[in-house]
Amino acid sequence: MSKEIINVDNLQVWFPVRRGFVESLTSKEQRWVKAVDGVSFNIKEREIFCLVGESGCGKTTTGKAILRLVEPTGGKVQYGGEGLTTQQVKDAMEKAVSKKLMTKKEAEECLSGGCVEVTRLPKDKMKLLRQKMQMIFQDPYESLNPKQSIYDIVAEPLVVNNLGQNEADRETRVEKALDDAGLRPPKHFMWRYPHEVSGGQRQRVGIAGALVLQPQFLVADEPVSMLDVSIRSEILKLMLDLREKRGLTYLFITHDLSVAYVFSDRIGIMYLGKIVELGPTEEVIKGPRHPYTKALISVVPKPDPRMKTEKIILKGERPDPAHIPPGCRFHPRCPYAMDKCRVEEPEPMYVSQEHWVTCWLVTGEGKAQ
Amino acid sequence: MSLLEVSDLKTYFKTQEGTLKAVDGISFNLEKGQAMGLAGESGCGKTTAALSIMKLLPANGYIAGGSINFMGQDMAKVTGDKLRAIRWRDISIIFQGAMNALNPVKRVGDQITEPILLHEKVDEATAEKRVKELFELVGINPSRIREYPHEFSGGMRQRVMIAMALACRPKLVICDEPTTALDVMIQAQILTLLKNLQQELELAMIIISHDLSVLAETCELLSIMYAGKIVERSSAVEVFSNPQHPYTKGLIAAFPNIKGERIMPASISGNPPNLIKPPPGCRFSDRCHVAQDLCKQEEPSLIEVLPGHFAACHFVNPKGV
Repeated sequence: MSKEIINVDNLQVWFPVRRGFVESLTSKEQRWVKAVDGVSFNIKEREIFCLVGESGCGKTTTGKAILRLVEPTGGKVQYGGEGLTTQQVKDAMEKAVSKKLMTKKEAEECLSGGCVEVTRLPKDKMKLLRQKMQMIFQDPYESLNPKQSIYDIVAEPLVVNNLGQNEADRETRVEKALDDAGLRPPKHFMWRYPHEVSGGQRQRVGIAGALVLQPQFLVADEPVSMLDVSIRSEILKLMLDLREKRGLTYLFITHDLSVAYVFSDRIGIMYLGKIVELGPTEEVIKGPRHPYTKALISVVPKPDPRMKTEKIILKGERPDPAHIPPGCRFHPRCPYAMDKCRVEEPEPMYVSQEHWVTCWLVTGEGKAQ
Repeated sequence: MSLLEVSDLKTYFKTQEGTLKAVDGISFNLEKGQAMGLAGESGCGKTTAALSIMKLLPANGYIAGGSINFMGQDMAKVTGDKLRAIRWRDISIIFQGAMNALNPVKRVGDQITEPILLHEKVDEATAEKRVKELFELVGINPSRIREYPHEFSGGMRQRVMIAMALACRPKLVICDEPTTALDVMIQAQILTLLKNLQQELELAMIIISHDLSVLAETCELLSIMYAGKIVERSSAVEVFSNPQHPYTKGLIAAFPNIKGERIMPASISGNPPNLIKPPPGCRFSDRCHVAQDLCKQEEPSLIEVLPGHFAACHFVNPKGV
């Protein structure tokens, strides 16, 4: 079995609900928007793991919390990839201990496991780790600074991290990143501005910006949803190529199940801050077990008018993550909800070796660890 | 006579660099109760074509030629009060972003009452009653008419937009990317609603989308646009089962199919041409894998390949017409 690069364990991201002055006097209870509420999964080396869900289900927040672009409220994220020397890991852990972010025992466990505890690292050590973990953003029209040339955009991570001995060295690194991102010849694009290139090329600039630090793990947040269908698969193919050439591992975040289907190795379906079903892509899409997954798959429009399939259209919209229903959080919209679902939250049940579901209707071979 | 007959419509924009030919000679007919999909990449002119029908073009846009015959009147020539009487009463539009299309400081009920009061001689009570009926029709609780747009979720706002479009019982509704900003589940709800309404009220509809799979589910007719021209036009089933134009074939192949095999879809490399100085010959020739010298010199015209199935490509041969 290949090595796990990312291990997410019971990750939580809660945002406090702002209260008015009067309310803060009258009620003591602080309410929370539980954007991510206990998410666990791992990603293996060179794997594409895909998180799918409707907007507001917490998929993007999960991705950002892994890179600590938002601070997790609880849970653990471990990075076990290469590229950091043992000394660097040791230093980072020692600093965390001295800052009382983790106990000595935890630090030793991490070191012996050869991984870094991302959630407990001091802020200044995060920079080191971010060289190995990067993000590709959704909107290539808004994530690039219009006043910077493409060279400046792609070179910025080098400047921030103080990499590259001199300007010439930086230039070669930028050229290589642009070339890898498929902007060829790089010299032709380097001194242009974002508005001078097409949407697909802009997204390639975004990818080049993530590649320039030679990361091992990338979080790609809806990288193709803003692009025309005719060029989407070009970008997806580029990402696959990069996995082959550079040995990258991806966390791919999307709302589009059909893209997830053709692109990812394993898939996790998120609903209201939790993963409700997780397994190998083909298995989940062809044999979904959770009622939510079944409904989601049934409503994906098929590009063929002769294909008439029955749709399971869920009533209403997802509930507010500030008021998560008790029991199974899907029960108010679930067509099969039973009494038990309204009171007790289901635990993950394995239906095959790598495929688990949280639903009371599913009787698996055993409980998750 | 058809409800809507668009023939050789040309809509241009004046820009600093020159005249941009956003829509350059498109023709189609639409009967009562028919739904037509207009598909294409961004910038292909599909929205401009629809806005031309309602004459909602921006200040620098103008209809440079052709005619839009709607119920015996040429919309290209109608102006002033006459135009105002047709807009929203006979033709209405559902805009892309319901978020931006509704007035945030007006109650939704009042926003829908406004066109009713403008077009029909009815009192406010009757208009309000109609709004409540409309809300029920689109699946919103009628007690919500006094609420403001921010109190509605995205999907509900889109339903408000649909109710508004139906306010004066139009004959033609134009839907500009009606579900683009919505989640798949909400998208399915809205598409089912649109389809039911269309059949129930015998509406003619033009649905504009870049997403062929959305159109496949809702439309009987399908027109594929590329760089300001319709390159293929037929019934939706025919276009999907027997695509003729290389662009249509490419576009269909670019969609991953969740019910099909797990293969990476093909892409169409390259970019659409500049519409200020469109290349001579076929506009798709730069990106076409079957293009020959002829394609770069001579523009193909839309020919009838099979009965009712039109395509504009030098390499399609009429069969059995």
